Amino acid sequence: MSATRTPTDWKSDIMQKRIAGRYAAERRFKFAGLFAVVLSASFLAFLLFTMMGNGLRGFTRTEIALKIDFPASPLLLDPAAITDESLNQANLPMVTDTVAKKLLGADADALLSPTAWISIRDAIKADPKILSRTETISVPASTGLDLAAKSNGSPEMEAAAARLKQQGVLSTGFNFSFLTASDGTDPTQVGIWGAFKGSLLTMIVTLLLSFPIGVATALYLEEYARKSWWTDIIEVSINNLAAVPSIIFGLLGLSIFLNLAHLPRSAALVGGMTLALMTMPVIVIAGRNAIKSVPPSIRDAALGIGASPVQVVFQHVLPLALPGILTGTIIGMARALGETAPLLMIGMRAFIATPPGGITDPATVLPVQIFLWSDEVSKGFVEKTSAAIIVLLAFLLAMNGLAIYLRNKFETRW
Amino acid sequence: MTEEQTKLAIENPKMSARDVKVFYGDKQAIKGVSIDVGMDHVTAFIGPSGCGKSTFLRTLNRMNDTVASARVEGEITLDGENIYAASMDVVQLRARVGMVFQKPNPFPKSIYENIAYGPRIHGLAAGKADMDVIVEKSLRRAGLWEEVKDRLTESGTALSGGQQQRLCIGRAIAVEPEVILMDEPCSALDPIATAKIEELIHELRGRYAIVIVTHNMQQAARVSQRTAFFHLGDLVEYGVTSDIFTNPRQERTKDYITGRYG
Repeated sequence: MSATRTPTDWKSDIMQKRIAGRYAAERRFKFAGLFAVVLSASFLAFLLFTMMGNGLRGFTRTEIALKIDFPASPLLLDPAAITDESLNQANLPMVTDTVAKKLLGADADALLSPTAWISIRDAIKADPKILSRTETISVPASTGLDLAAKSNGSPEMEAAAARLKQQGVLSTGFNFSFLTASDGTDPTQVGIWGAFKGSLLTMIVTLLLSFPIGVATALYLEEYARKSWWTDIIEVSINNLAAVPSIIFGLLGLSIFLNLAHLPRSAALVGGMTLALMTMPVIVIAGRNAIKSVPPSIRDAALGIGASPVQVVFQHVLPLALPGILTGTIIGMARALGETAPLLMIGMRAFIATPPGGITDPATVLPVQIFLWSDEVSKGFVEKTSAAIIVLLAFLLAMNGLAIYLRNKFETRW
Repeated sequence: MTEEQTKLAIENPKMSARDVKVFYGDKQAIKGVSIDVGMDHVTAFIGPSGCGKSTFLRTLNRMNDTVASARVEGEITLDGENIYAASMDVVQLRARVGMVFQKPNPFPKSIYENIAYGPRIHGLAAGKADMDVIVEKSLRRAGLWEEVKDRLTESGTALSGGQQQRLCIGRAIAVEPEVILMDEPCSALDPIATAKIEELIHELRGRYAIVIVTHNMQQAARVSQRTAFFHLGDLVEYGVTSDIFTNPRQERTKDYITGRYG
């Protein structure tokens, strides 16, 4: 016979202590979680704040209004016969230099962008009649002056900026050419469009390849393949593939797509194919999990009224698994969008000053463009780099937003 | 055939099984079952958990095909045609032998779509008007029409458990099956919903051959005319329901019915 147990005293001191300890543990856990959230939120805020601080300046450009008296200028052009050729022969860079020196002083060279003459050429081309009168044309300022006008430049430039501001010829405005131009050597002239288009084309190739193949693989493995050592090997391989460092995919792309298949170097096609290799395992894994989580009772229901396996898969399983598959796809695509290393391996780091016309044209992508600009010596590229980062993040947000919208659209309420 | 089976042999059985054995891998789940299912009565399969009654039910429309390790031996015929023959199209078989499952499993689609899905994939409706007729007729037969006629576009999953199960019965009826297999259709339902389903089974009797698996012996007694008692993969006894419950011939049946195990 065991000793009789005394009834539990739930009000005893020991019990009160236990209760207090339990409550304290709950509170500690809650605060630890809250602390983690606040910490990560503040990191994010810091990132965004510095990015915006630097990057938003990258979207603006300082311009100098040059009041050019064309008849008095050394420009020898017949307003009636303006052609590309005549403009090219007119030696506009030299003329611009002369005019600017007269208007702005001896240091005009340092104040104007080396490509300022292009603005004048475009103005003449747009309206040849200005050659017979005095016309005010805005031309881009030099990097040094641009920096001085917007934030902090060298002492001489600060002085020059103050002087020009007083004259009322200096203006800073939104730089549309940043969104429409491509890479270049002069930071005041570069734009993000080429890299943006390259990223867009690359992502399209990646999506078109990895999504159907990844989903089909997941469906086959989950719905059709009989369990065997063969499918086990495939499963392990796919899981391993998802963990392979991205640069190795770049080497794979280099050796297979470029050296073996002789596809065009630096092209969005090859970049997209390489990134598709990388994205596919992520989609397969997410897809299999999503398919697995479709309740078997739905399969039974459809089979039970005589749906064929294909009908079961495409009319019941896939629609229910789609939100999960889309989540996996977007994670994979977001990773692919930010990927630099494998693209460097297949030559997408080349200097490309024109936007790609198609998927086989030489192209670069946003993260590679950021990498290239961050490597530039000229100070003007600092804010361009930040601006490019903002564009990349905006692209990413837009992509995620679209995915969330699609996911909610397809989500089934049970 | 033993004397007993001869006595039970049904003229023109809708489905009949001869020496059916089912294996899951190495494990034998059904040990040689022979049974005839008639058109004009409800057949109940009873027995303790794990006795193989559900497994056997699923061999009747080849739902066991979806289990990779399952293997079926013996012969099962539908109108004299072997359903495991290579020439049998399993999709058509399942349209002819419908199934209602233990847990109500409507598609996460509208009530209308739940019913219309089967007729659509089998091409049974000639146009929208025809489909509307099929949907109404099926829901009426399932005893659900009056409750849902004003909300056919609502999700089938928004209905109550009992309504969902009747929707599933309506879904099975919509493809005009010859046999309806019900795998413990009331085990997830409350007594009122159960009563409605049982009433429905009464009404459907004669139009379809109905086979129902149940844990509930009272239910078997209420809804069926024939009862088969399964135990450990054997068909222990098969007979007229009233005989089984009042005058079981086998010791094991008697023990089960009197609640000595189960």
